[in-house]
Amino acid sequence: MSNLPRRTSRSALAALALAVLLSASATQAVEAGETAPSFQLPGLTGGTVSLEEHRGKVVYLDFWASWCGPCAQALPALDALRQEFPEEDFQVVAINVDGTSAAAKKFLKRRPVGYPSGLDPKGETPAQFGVETMPTSFLIDRNGTVHHVHKGFRKQDVESLRKRIQALVAAGR
Amino acid sequence: MRASVLLLAVVLLGAVGCESVRPWERDVLARTDMAWDPDPLESALEKHIEFSKEGSLDGGAAGGGGCGCN
Repeated sequence: MSNLPRRTSRSALAALALAVLLSASATQAVEAGETAPSFQLPGLTGGTVSLEEHRGKVVYLDFWASWCGPCAQALPALDALRQEFPEEDFQVVAINVDGTSAAAKKFLKRRPVGYPSGLDPKGETPAQFGVETMPTSFLIDRNGTVHHVHKGFRKQDVESLRKRIQALVAAGR
Repeated sequence: MRASVLLLAVVLLGAVGCESVRPWERDVLARTDMAWDPDPLESALEKHIEFSKEGSLDGGAAGGGGCGCN
């Protein structure tokens, strides 16, 4: 290092600093007003799960895991919410981020839901959406635009979610 | 000057290796045995016994202490 020309050492330092910045940079979170990134994942019960197959419906996209405490409250509440709307208007789509599908299956055995779950053990989809906390959900309109990002879950959130869903469902009729 | 530049380079190089745990990768951290306080109820009981019997506090807020009456 001491024998290196000053310009070389400065360049090396700049390159290192850039590497640090790049390694530390977080994925940009998807926000309201943006188009939801498309994905296609293997389904928990077989087949595939994608956003495209529900285009034309209002979609509540929910990232969940078996180890996530609030998810245990969210899943039954979302399933009840899903049943309040016609299937052609509203659908809940879930993405499970457990390391193994066995953990997700065990969880759903105790809390069965009637909506599909895609499996993403590598976490590519949550990275794509810039998930910052668990659970995080994205309320997406009929055209694929994100209208609301819901971080965490509490039982008292259901009422405000219902109103948002109602508004989006009514907007597309 | 050169020593500090070298030190900065080493620090930066080390920082490249820093990796934060993403929210969806916290399954191991979410385990009960990974918590700082895996049993809050037991900890609260132990604290109560400690300040009641010894009149010593660990910095947590509590009234009285020493007489075992609270």
